[in-house]
Amino acid sequence: MAEEEAIFDPSLKKKKKKAKKTPFDFDAALAGGTAGNESAEVEVGKENENPEEEEIKDVDDLDLESFGKKKKKSKKKAFPIEDLEVASPEVEGQDGEAVEDQEDLDLDFSKSLKKKKKKKITGVVEEEKDEKEESTGVAWTTDGDYTYDELLNRVFNIMREKNPEMVAGEKKKFTMRPPQVVRIGTKKTSFANFSEICKMLHRQPKHVLAFLLAELGTSGSVDGNNQLIIKGRFQQKQMENVLRRYVKEYVTCHTCRSPDTILQKDTRLFFLQCETCGSRCSVASIKSGFQAVTGKRAAIRAKTA
Amino acid sequence: MSFQNLKTFDPFADADKGPGEAVQDGLVHIRIQQRNGRKTLTTIQGLSAEYDLKKIVRHCKKEFACNGTVVEHPEYGEVLQLQGDQRENICQWLTKTGLAKPEQLKVHGF
Ligand SMILES: [Zn+2]
Repeated sequence: MAEEEAIFDPSLKKKKKKAKKTPFDFDAALAGGTAGNESAEVEVGKENENPEEEEIKDVDDLDLESFGKKKKKSKKKAFPIEDLEVASPEVEGQDGEAVEDQEDLDLDFSKSLKKKKKKKITGVVEEEKDEKEESTGVAWTTDGDYTYDELLNRVFNIMREKNPEMVAGEKKKFTMRPPQVVRIGTKKTSFANFSEICKMLHRQPKHVLAFLLAELGTSGSVDGNNQLIIKGRFQQKQMENVLRRYVKEYVTCHTCRSPDTILQKDTRLFFLQCETCGSRCSVASIKSGFQAVTGKRAAIRAKTA
Repeated sequence: MSFQNLKTFDPFADADKGPGEAVQDGLVHIRIQQRNGRKTLTTIQGLSAEYDLKKIVRHCKKEFACNGTVVEHPEYGEVLQLQGDQRENICQWLTKTGLAKPEQLKVHGF
């Protein structure tokens, strides 16, 4: 046993370090649904070191596997004020801006300058457009000799004008803090910001807890400091995976992938009501299913006998 | 995106397949549980009762080089239990042998 620990520990540490650097990206979960929307827009590289550099990247080449490999440095470095507002629970929900807040949430577990940059980029595009409009005059003539970029800008601006909600959709990502997962001793794991994450997801801790425990096949509870203590060893990465699955099933709309949804319980079934597209669909109920006996059988026998 | 309502589904198709709600929803749940230390356990719940699970477990033990057993559960029917994290292995094997379709497999855990 002691030997095992010795072997296990260093690798765990290493993994932990790695895990801290990797972003928890919810884009992947959404990529399928919003790809159509997002491929139309320009996506800016997320590297924090060069916020000025307007690196254009397509969201399409994000896949479920890639987010771990992207080198985004620390999430604490970049902390735009808007994100701060979203993150503090007192601000959201207090005033009528809850809905707006949610739109600002980024389905991305790491803080990044993405949003800010995106705004900037659209700003730039618009400026360019303005210049062009001035330079080419009011009307776009049919016989004009336009470059591809000019025409592209033109069509994008028309699209933005006609669908203001699409512009809003551009920044509709869901920023989540990464779960803070710390091991307690050798047998338990603490999920320190559990209640905070539940608040961000707008879901009852009870429901999230039931899902986590069922998926991880373990037991646990929320302690006095609002942290979740679960039996077994789990790493941040693993917790992210489970949370990502939770968001996919119980937070984002199954039709339009908007995170702006309400989970309602109706005659023993849970329904996910979308605030954006109005769709309503039932979601799988949480079942832990078969649980094998893993503890000491003697102890169980003693208890039941 | 999956349109669950649009699937053609015969509600009586599995009526004679014995107990187990998991059998009824047609999904094979593959779960992992932590044991003491870094040891783990994989459980496979919801395989159709038409299959001889004893035979399956015999084969799996050899194929994955792990121990395993079949547990009878009053609610979930017969459940396959394998030592270690065999989730990948069992998924591939079940699809390869055609015992379950890929869309039937539901893998849980981290
Ligand atoms: Zn929707």
